[in-house]
Amino acid sequence: MSGRLTPSAKAALVIGGSVLGATVLLALLAPWIAPHDPFLQNLDQRLAPPFWAEGSLSGHPLGTDQLGRDYLSRLLYGARISLLIGAVTVILSGMIGVGLGMAGGYAGGWLDDAVMIVVTCRLSIPLILVALTVVALTGTSLVVVMLTLGLLLWERFAVVARTTTMQVRHREFIEAARLCGASLPHILLREVLPNILPHLVVVMTLELAIAILLEAALSFLGLGVPPPLPSWGLMIAEARDQMFFMPWVITIPGVALFTLVLAINILGDGLRDLVAGGHAR
Amino acid sequence: MTALIDEAGPAVSVRGLRRDFVRGGGLLSTHATVRAVDGVSFDVSHGEVLGIVGESGSGKSTLARLITGLLRPTAGDVRIAGRSLAEADRRQRARLIQQVFQDPYSSLNPTQRVRDIVALPLVAQGDVPREERARRVSEMLALVGLDPAVGERYPGQMSGGQRQRVAIARALVLKPRIVVCDEPTSALDVSVQAQILNLLQALRRELNLTLVFISHNLAVVEHIATHVAVMYLGRIVEAAPTAELFGSPRHPYTAALLQSVLTPEPGKGIPRIPLGEGFPDPAAIPPGCRFHPRCPSALPACADASPPLRVDAGHLVECILAPETASREATSQVHAGLGP
Repeated sequence: MSGRLTPSAKAALVIGGSVLGATVLLALLAPWIAPHDPFLQNLDQRLAPPFWAEGSLSGHPLGTDQLGRDYLSRLLYGARISLLIGAVTVILSGMIGVGLGMAGGYAGGWLDDAVMIVVTCRLSIPLILVALTVVALTGTSLVVVMLTLGLLLWERFAVVARTTTMQVRHREFIEAARLCGASLPHILLREVLPNILPHLVVVMTLELAIAILLEAALSFLGLGVPPPLPSWGLMIAEARDQMFFMPWVITIPGVALFTLVLAINILGDGLRDLVAGGHAR
Repeated sequence: MTALIDEAGPAVSVRGLRRDFVRGGGLLSTHATVRAVDGVSFDVSHGEVLGIVGESGSGKSTLARLITGLLRPTAGDVRIAGRSLAEADRRQRARLIQQVFQDPYSSLNPTQRVRDIVALPLVAQGDVPREERARRVSEMLALVGLDPAVGERYPGQMSGGQRQRVAIARALVLKPRIVVCDEPTSALDVSVQAQILNLLQALRRELNLTLVFISHNLAVVEHIATHVAVMYLGRIVEAAPTAELFGSPRHPYTAALLQSVLTPEPGKGIPRIPLGEGFPDPAAIPPGCRFHPRCPSALPACADASPPLRVDAGHLVECILAPETASREATSQVHAGLGP
């Protein structure tokens, strides 16, 4: 399979995969490698610059924020929040979307029409307005952000699962499985799902990037993760007042966010090529 | 399991089978009903091989899917070993009848190992323990001439002939008595076709199988079938024991089909077939005898009335000319077409 990949697709898989992998590793190891407690305030050492700027403090390689909290530690713990929200969102929306899409795509007829109507309805719901309403009703919390995103970001999964299921449905091995006496759940989970999975993995990377960006956007607007949790979007929001005097407070989480999302998208591109190549017979 | 089989009656009994497909029918377009199978009845006795031949669009594959229960008939009834297919649940149906599909590149799930593919009917039965499944899968693979070690492979790592052997092993692992083969060799290389045919022939004798063998290849059908039914636009227009049908075809369509067979001798050229250039369209079936627009010996009456069914000692013909046109002329043409 890999023999058929173009060098650029290979590079995309390696670069995207290793940056995402490194981020996941850093996030998982945050409690052990972070130099400080990310919640610990020290007003004496507020807004210390990072190591490359004049006046940096030893022990705070990326400086401190406006409350004197260690910026590197908050960045590492923030990666956990971003990836956690991304992962939970993808799992939740994936289950909803793939379930709906496979049901509509396999059954066809009125069920398919119903699924498409639901997808269209979902597409007409503005996400920020829903987030505002939810926050107004329940207040901000990590769980609310994950639920809001997970319950709203499934339409791409549904559309892709539906289309690919419709393609697989007419292959003879599905009919063969029916003749073998296989049950409907068996056919959907063992015969259809493994054959559409490569396409879903590509959607998964896309959704992961979108969820991480949306979390940052919601946190920036004050609709996402509540302070004092270290979220990258929240860090950007809190640094807003200082950005003209100390640009690093906004560029450090911004660059982290940019790098992670870019890596995930590059990985997705590589996976897409892998899927396209692997399925050509 | 044995109680499922009624040994006395026919293995497959089809009565008045009809299947319509609705084509189009969007907001602006009109419906077109395609009658793919139109009033088909026949019996296949235990141990027989019924070959079904016909052109593309004659309804052969639809008939196969109706017999196995993959499609529900619009009207009519299929009985397998005395049981109505409509009443059998999925597990019983799997034990009664299985199908070998046309294209082994499409009929095997590319994401599963061969051993899981062959074991699927056993898994679906729900009451076969794991060790017995493994044992029977190995047995089956050996029976179809594969090394049981190929069980670890994926279909993508096998040749077309090997894949079709896997498909046959899957169809036989529940020891069904009836197997429908829908063009099982037409997707294979010529060199492999004979191997698969001989394998089916050998398995049929060994396991006392009843086969319904669908093909557009007359030579293949003549080789394997004990009885042959000729389909034209959804109806069986002629059915007889193989030797008799190939020796003295009574329907003008059968005669023309046999004439269309290419001879292996290069000097003879492509045979001329008196059927014209038209293609039969199942969405617009002609009135009267459905074959009359292409029939070389059509009478004026053929356009008005459906032809009568004439039965003579197991030889069924649907043609107004049937009794007298077991025709000298047609027969001699056939011989001319088939060889020296």
